[in-house]
Amino acid sequence: MRALIIEDEAVLREQLVEQLEGAGYAIDAAADGDEGLYLGNEYPFDIAVVDLGLPKLSGIDVIKEWRKAGKSFPVLILTARGRWDEKVEGLEAGADDYVVKPFHAEELLARINALVRRAGGWAQPVLRCGPITLNTTTQEVEVDDHRVELTAYEFRTLQYLMLNAGKVVSKAELIEHLYQQDFDRDSNVIEVFIRRLRTKLDPDSCINPIETLRGSGYRLTLQRTPA
Amino acid sequence: MLSLNARLILAASIVLALFFGLTGFTLDSAYTHSAETALKDRLQGRVNVLVAASELGEDGVARLTNALPEVRFFNPGSDLYAYFVGNNNRHAWRSPSLGSLDIRFPSGLARGETAYQKLKATDGTVLQIYSLGVTWDDSPGPRGGYTFSVAENVRNIQEQISGFRRILWGWLTAVAVILLAVQGSIMRWSLKPLRRVADDLAAIEHGKQTELQGRYPAELLPLTDNINALIRSSRELLERYRHSLGDLAHSLKTPLALLRGAVEGHKAADELLEIVPEQVDRMSRTVDYQLQRAAASGGSTLVAPINVAQVARKVAAALNKVYSDKAVICHLHVDEECEFHGDEGDLFEILGNLLDNAFKWCRHRVEVRAAMDSVSTGLTLSVEDDGPGISPDVAQEVRRRGVSIGGAESGHGIGLAIVDDIIRIYGGTLEVITGTLGGALMKVHLPNR
Repeated sequence: MRALIIEDEAVLREQLVEQLEGAGYAIDAAADGDEGLYLGNEYPFDIAVVDLGLPKLSGIDVIKEWRKAGKSFPVLILTARGRWDEKVEGLEAGADDYVVKPFHAEELLARINALVRRAGGWAQPVLRCGPITLNTTTQEVEVDDHRVELTAYEFRTLQYLMLNAGKVVSKAELIEHLYQQDFDRDSNVIEVFIRRLRTKLDPDSCINPIETLRGSGYRLTLQRTPA
Repeated sequence: MLSLNARLILAASIVLALFFGLTGFTLDSAYTHSAETALKDRLQGRVNVLVAASELGEDGVARLTNALPEVRFFNPGSDLYAYFVGNNNRHAWRSPSLGSLDIRFPSGLARGETAYQKLKATDGTVLQIYSLGVTWDDSPGPRGGYTFSVAENVRNIQEQISGFRRILWGWLTAVAVILLAVQGSIMRWSLKPLRRVADDLAAIEHGKQTELQGRYPAELLPLTDNINALIRSSRELLERYRHSLGDLAHSLKTPLALLRGAVEGHKAADELLEIVPEQVDRMSRTVDYQLQRAAASGGSTLVAPINVAQVARKVAAALNKVYSDKAVICHLHVDEECEFHGDEGDLFEILGNLLDNAFKWCRHRVEVRAAMDSVSTGLTLSVEDDGPGISPDVAQEVRRRGVSIGGAESGHGIGLAIVDDIIRIYGGTLEVITGTLGGALMKVHLPNR
C-alpha cells in the first residue's frame, strides 16, 4: 500500500513515516501544500494523510484540488485545533476522516487501515478470501486457521491483491503501490514475491490462489467471504 | 476625509449661493427691463407733448408756440433734451438744454414713423433718443414733414440700475451670511450627540468609564447600544480567556509536578514508561478542553442569525462519512426557520460533539430535532441515539468534571463537557436523559438574548 504524508512539522513527519513504514506502507512525504498536491496528482496513492495547517497551500485546498482533478484515494486529515467547523470543512472538501493532534500512533494507523479497506470495498478489518484470512490490524495471515509467516513486501503484495480481489492487477500497478517514488523498479522482484506467496499460501498447489494472466498481470481468484 | 460639519456647511453654501445667485440675477434683469421700458414710455410721452406744443406757421416753418411743461428742457446740462427738424433738413429747433452738445438727431422720418435708438455725442455723452415723424395737414408736399426727438442722458438710468444692484446684492449677501451662520449653529447642535459619543469613547479608552453613558437620540441608539454590547462581550471574552488561562496553568501543574517528581525520584525505567504516557495524555486532554472552551465565542453581538438546519446537515454529512462502516441512519427533523443567535463555530461545536457521541454510541439510528420554542422564546435542540444510553449519575459527573473523566474512547467525555460549557455561556440548559429509542437523549435549550 502506498501512502502520501503531507506534514510541515519535520519531527512529526519523520515519526509518521516511521510508523507507517513499520505498518507495511510505502511512503512519500511532502513538507508543504504545493509539493503534496503535485505528488498526489502524479502518483497512484492508496491513502493520503494531510495536515490542515500547511505552508504555501492549505490542506483543505490541496484536498479540493485533488477531488477536482478526479483523484479518489481516501484522505485522512490531521487537525491541531479540533474545532468542529474545521473538521466539517475538511470533510466537505473531500476528506474521509480526521484525527485530532496529539494522537496515538495506534489510533492513526487503525483509521488509515480502515480507510484503505473501505476504499477496497471491505467493511471489516479482517479480509477473507476463501481459506485465506488477512488481518490488516495485526498484519497476520492465516490459511485454514494456520498462521503463515510473510515478509513485509510479501504481506503488502498479498494485501493489495486481496483488497482488489477478483480484479486484474498489473505488475506496474503493483510496483507503484508497493514502492515509494524513488525506488529502483525491477519487475522481476514482483515475480519473485508472487512465486514465494504461492509457495507459502498453497504449498500443496490445491487452491491455486493467484492466477497469472500473461501480458496483463495477476488476479486473486478466490471469492471474498462476507464476515 | 471631510468632517461631517465641513460637508454640511459646504453643501449648504453651495445651495445658498445657487439660490441667491439665481434670485439676484432674476430680480436684476426684471428691474433693468422695467426701468428701460419706463424710460421709453417717458420719452414717448414727452415727444407727444413736444408735438402738441408746436405749430406750423404761415411760412411753412414749424415753431414752438406753447410753453413746454418740463423746465429741464430749458436748463443747460439737465440731461433732458428736445429737437425737431424739417425733413428738408432746415428749420431745426434745439431745446436750450442741449447747449453746445454736438449730436446728430435722426431726421426724415415719414408721418407716424418712430425710431428708438442710442446715440453718442462727440463729447462721449450717450443719449437714448425717441423720434417721431410728423406732418401737418396743410404742410407743403411730402418733404414738408418734421421729425421730433426727445432724448435723455442714459447716465441717469444706469445710475438708477446700479443703485438698485448695490442694494439688492448687499441684502442678498447679508441674508446668506446670516442663514449660513444659523445653519452652522443648527448643525453644531444636531451633531452634538455624535461629539458626545466620541468623548465617551475617549473616556472609555482612558479607563474613566466602562461604557457609553447618558441618553442619545433615537437615530444613534442602535449604534451606541451595539457599541456597548461589543464592549461588554469583549470584556466577557477577556475575562473568560483569563479564567481559561488560569485554569489551564493550574491543571497542567499537577501532571508536571508528577513528571518532575518521577524523574527526580530516579524511578525505574518501566515505572517512567507508565507514568509519562499517562500524564502526557492527561495534559493533552486538559489542553484540548481548555482550548475549545476558551475558543467558544458566546457572542451574539452584530452577527446574523445562523441557519440551524444547514449546520446540522453539514455535521451529519461529515459524520456519515466518518462512520460509513457503521451505516448509521440519521434523521434530521429540523425546521428551516430554526435560527441560532450566536457564533457559527459554537453551533458547530454543540452539534458536532452531540452528534459525534450519538454516532459513536448508537446501534443504527440517530434522531436530531430542532425547533424554535415559542413559549420560552429560544431554540430547542435534541439529539437521540439507540445505543446503551448514559446513566444520570455518569452524565452529571461528566459535565461536572469533564476533563478528568473524558478520554478518547471513554464515552460521552470531553465533548459533552465542552457542549455544557458553551451552552452555559449562552445562558442555556443541557439535559441528559434516556429517550424512547432506549439510548441517550441530549436536550439543549438556548434562549434568545
